Amino acid sequence: MAAVMDRDYYDVETGVLDRTIYADEDIYREELAKIFGRAWNFMCHESQVPEPGDFFLNWIGEDQVIVVRGRDRVIRVLLNTCPHRGNTVCRAELGNTQRFLCSYHGWNFHLDGTLAGMPGEEVFYRGNLDKSAWGLKQAAQVDSYHGFVFATLDPTAPPLPDYLGWVGRLGLDFMASQGELEFLDGVQKNRIRCNWKIAVDNLFDWYHVKVSHGSVLQVGLFDEASLAPMEQMVLLGEFGHGIGGPGISEEKFDEAVARVRGGPGAREWYDRTVRDRMQPEATELLGPVGRRSFGHPNIFPNLWVSTSPQVCLRIPRGPGETELWWFSFQPKEASDNHKRRNVYMANHWFGPGGILEQDDSENWSHATRGARGRFSRTLPSNLTMGKGADRVAEDPSGQARIETVVNEHGQRWTYRSWQEWMRAESWQELMANHSMPPTGTV
Amino acid sequence: MGDPGALERLLLQHAVQEFLFMEADVLDSRRYEEWLGLLTEDIHYWMPVRRTTTAREVDREFTKPGGIAFFDDDLAMLKMRVNRMLLGRAWAEDPPSRTRRLITNVRVVSGSAESEGDEVTVASNFQLYRTRLDSEEDSWLGRREDVLRRVDGGFRLARRHIYLEQTVILSQNLSSLF
Repeated sequence: MAAVMDRDYYDVETGVLDRTIYADEDIYREELAKIFGRAWNFMCHESQVPEPGDFFLNWIGEDQVIVVRGRDRVIRVLLNTCPHRGNTVCRAELGNTQRFLCSYHGWNFHLDGTLAGMPGEEVFYRGNLDKSAWGLKQAAQVDSYHGFVFATLDPTAPPLPDYLGWVGRLGLDFMASQGELEFLDGVQKNRIRCNWKIAVDNLFDWYHVKVSHGSVLQVGLFDEASLAPMEQMVLLGEFGHGIGGPGISEEKFDEAVARVRGGPGAREWYDRTVRDRMQPEATELLGPVGRRSFGHPNIFPNLWVSTSPQVCLRIPRGPGETELWWFSFQPKEASDNHKRRNVYMANHWFGPGGILEQDDSENWSHATRGARGRFSRTLPSNLTMGKGADRVAEDPSGQARIETVVNEHGQRWTYRSWQEWMRAESWQELMANHSMPPTGTV
Repeated sequence: MGDPGALERLLLQHAVQEFLFMEADVLDSRRYEEWLGLLTEDIHYWMPVRRTTTAREVDREFTKPGGIAFFDDDLAMLKMRVNRMLLGRAWAEDPPSRTRRLITNVRVVSGSAESEGDEVTVASNFQLYRTRLDSEEDSWLGRREDVLRRVDGGFRLARRHIYLEQTVILSQNLSSLF
């Protein structure tokens, strides 16, 4: 078989992308191994599994995993496949259990994945089966950051904090800056006929907002200043992490702070967000530049952090299908009003019934369809907006960023990084050959 | 024949069904503004999130009122959904979907037809079939639990709880009304 990555699918020089990557079955298979099989994948929030025996099912690519808290209170990630004949050992998507029992032959497993026993251990197996060798396969590494649990199947992946880098960490720091979060019961899940990468790159896309979501502006759910702000800030991190979206200049931030200090401030989104960011702890956590970003982080490959506060996974289901899973949170210490507003946003903005997201899925599925035709797939996708027109501004804090108007820097960074992940044969190779975030003109 | 309440129940059943069938027709005919007129000012329109659980933990199957839901709308929100569809820029519904609603197994769960202002709780099953563009298809089945309130000699919908059978919603969106 010819190598899948036999040519440049993303042209770094021109910012033009080959649409094949949204349709090709071989590329998709390779992504499951080289991206999802290697990355740190978001599993759940610690507060979803507070007690020993609590579990939650999730996916690493197309491998189903059980996230479970053990009797020792440690959270583990176990492949949901019986080592005996491959059957799933857990069929409920959440719950609490003492053990996992395979419903095929009865092999059963402790919460830490070790094989507890099976029918006929002495009589049929004659005591010859080494139980210690036949437990549930565990994720190679599990770790959490601000309560968000991640796992990787690759033992050679760098530790989670290094993997996230400052940009990935900042993405989750936005969540932590709202105080201690608790999970709101109920993950909204639905299936969209789009390639997972389109769902990912769209989260940096502030160009689509006024057209895709024009109807919600017209009915007054949002004002234009909140939904389509002119000022943008992009922060790019190693391994494909990025934050792209609204950002406010230092002067405007200071002006907003003065306004808010003088009273409740304007009702606009900037002032509301600035109010949260004024807390000294928030400033310290987010840094001098990070506190001025109100953008959308993507933790590579597929976790959108929305400061609603929600996170959304884009789970691949073949080249042409993606599941969106929305996890919603609220600050533990928030007022009842604040909490009601959180639930209101979670129930009405995103998710399949969400008034914003309905039109996204329609567009993303047709963009995917545009990569399927024998001839349309040979046409390029254009990601050139703002290319060569902006500069990366350095900061003594290390928080380099691009402050500009609506742009496609985040999308270009995503595909450039995607290509590097797909080319590398191992983490060692990826470490040696990945691009560092750009400096100078971008 | 010896049941004195039978006729009254029959008439109520008939009136309730007439309302639900008429409402389905209004939605299938895309007369959304007319549909808003069938709702009370204090309507609550709610579809919880459903999960696969073991039989032992089946009490966790649905999310609870006040929490995360696919729909959790008051009249203002429903008006916004309808207004959006009428703009010609709500891409999920323009070109408009073609829908057909089958409402079955209608049962009056509580309430009577006697006095003005009475509320009647009605359970029904539904199939909502949607097709879009050339070949897109969605089919949602589920149960609804409605509260119908007598207003000006007719019914208005005062509460609708919608329980879909799917856990992962196998559609691009839920841009239809149930």
